[in-house]
Amino acid sequence: MLNYVLKRIGQTVFTAFLATATVFVLLRMAPGDPAANYAPPNPTSAQLEAIRQQFGLDQSIPVQFLTFLQHLFQGDVGTSFFFKRPALEVVMERLPYTVTLAVAAIVVTAVVAIPLGVWMARRANTAKELGANIATIAGQSMPDFWIGFVLLIVFAVNLGIFSPAGFTSASSIVLPTVTIAILQIALISRLVRREMVVNLAAPYLTVARSRGISERALTWRYAFGNSAIPVVTALGTRFAAMLNGVVIVEVVFKWPGVGELVVNALKQRDFPLIQATVLVTVLLALVVQLLVDLLYPLMDPRVRLGEASA
Amino acid sequence: MTTSTPGLSPDLSQVPGSILGRDSAVTRVLLRRSAAARRARYSTIKIWVGAVCAGLVVLPVALAQVLPLPDPIVGALSESSLPPFSAGHLFGTDPNGRDLLSRVLHGGQTSLVIGVLAIVVSGLVGIAAGAAAGYFGGWVDAIVSRLLEAQMSLPLLLMLLLVVALFGPSIPVITLVIAFAQWPEPARITRALVLVEREKPYVAAARVLGLHRVSIIARHVIPNVLQQVLVVVLLLLAQAVLLESALSFLGAGVQRPYPTWGGIISDGRELFVTGKWWLVTIPGIVIALLVVGVNLVGDGLRDRVRRAKGDQS
Repeated sequence: MLNYVLKRIGQTVFTAFLATATVFVLLRMAPGDPAANYAPPNPTSAQLEAIRQQFGLDQSIPVQFLTFLQHLFQGDVGTSFFFKRPALEVVMERLPYTVTLAVAAIVVTAVVAIPLGVWMARRANTAKELGANIATIAGQSMPDFWIGFVLLIVFAVNLGIFSPAGFTSASSIVLPTVTIAILQIALISRLVRREMVVNLAAPYLTVARSRGISERALTWRYAFGNSAIPVVTALGTRFAAMLNGVVIVEVVFKWPGVGELVVNALKQRDFPLIQATVLVTVLLALVVQLLVDLLYPLMDPRVRLGEASA
Repeated sequence: MTTSTPGLSPDLSQVPGSILGRDSAVTRVLLRRSAAARRARYSTIKIWVGAVCAGLVVLPVALAQVLPLPDPIVGALSESSLPPFSAGHLFGTDPNGRDLLSRVLHGGQTSLVIGVLAIVVSGLVGIAAGAAAGYFGGWVDAIVSRLLEAQMSLPLLLMLLLVVALFGPSIPVITLVIAFAQWPEPARITRALVLVEREKPYVAAARVLGLHRVSIIARHVIPNVLQQVLVVVLLLLAQAVLLESALSFLGAGVQRPYPTWGGIISDGRELFVTGKWWLVTIPGIVIALLVVGVNLVGDGLRDRVRRAKGDQS
């Protein structure tokens, strides 16, 4: 168990390093001079050169990367070109907004998708279920930015119930959450259905039914209990992916999270800020994934961590 | 005999309401058979509804050059911002007076070409990599599996945006970027299927006949798993169209004035506040209609392939 956790932490650090390195190299290969964004209008070449020297951009990519790693081990991921502040600080300010949005979205998803999926499984291959089935297909077929815009047109512009953009009050979170949840509900409810159909037809359920156990207990305690692992895994993976930035939804709603931050940082070629965001969000997503994996033995005593995956 | 306790082995046929006592005409086998028949009927419905939805979008898009449409790039300013169902402009016009229907259909050509090319590339790469990993195992499998895992843990959308920024938003670059995002799916399923398939007797027979390993994979193993993989690849077309529109929306799409679906929606985003809702809503409905269609066809086909392979789920 301890070995397994240590091994996984090692993998996590390696993956985070891989992501950071890839982004680091890609950024520096990309065209567009960051110095030009931070120089006064119509800069002289001397001014540009001074800025490049100040940020260390005049060195070769391997040298820049080594310097970056050196600073990283001292807990310094660099200073944002744009905000002129430590990049980590800027990311940490935005992170709570993304985490809040991701938590809200995953809670709504679980609360709606699990009962919906169970309902579909219990009525598998009926006309009603076909309707729900097609509805979930439609739910995963709409572009998420478009759902966002339509919700904005209806609820913010025409009805005026919610504020159109940004984070102005607690109710601002409703529309972005719904936008994310629609797609996730469609995906997760289909997974729940698939797992439940298998378990509802399993022989152990016939045995349990013959013992006179109520349908409710059969469905939830027996069949769903055995479907829980793939469902929790999927919810965890989705949640981890959201921490990497619900980029599009954040841009649509001008939500002040890390996704919106990183898209703007990309436009401004704010290298340290992009790196800090990638590092923090990738690490966070990997930690969530690790926690989900550690939950398995609690849900299913047959699972022994580290043996199957070794 | 005489010591047998009453109630220990009751005659079940005497228990009121017990189903065990009388034979029912409806057996478990019949129930299962009727469920299978219903499933078959519903998969046919899904395939037809899906084909109609997708056809409603694909046919006009394919015929955009032939249909009598106004120019998608040059508009008449006298006809600026007309709502849908105006004379001569079924979908209305944008503030530059360009016909939205014409823009959506011409943009659809770019979006569809990118989507189809992307799934061809990702399908070929995914099938080749997955089949090699599944058949050879060992270090080939290790490399492919690690690559798949590594890609899953990277912030994909950000990487794609970076690559587009690096190489420029041309059709080949965006196609390859989408193919890169999608190859894990066919690779994973091909690998899983080939793992099962390689243990079957016909593979051993082919090996005994002295066939080369590559020709066993290409001519014997892959044809047996292809049907199931192609359904997954077809479903990827839906994802590819969505991803292309998302990239366009974030500004990493084929450049204007050449309109693509995501680009048209992105152009309209600042205008819906002023009541020009159709510039955002209509292209989105077109995308959704196509993607719903492709997803329904794929889902229906998947039910069928599963049934043909004797899967009970």
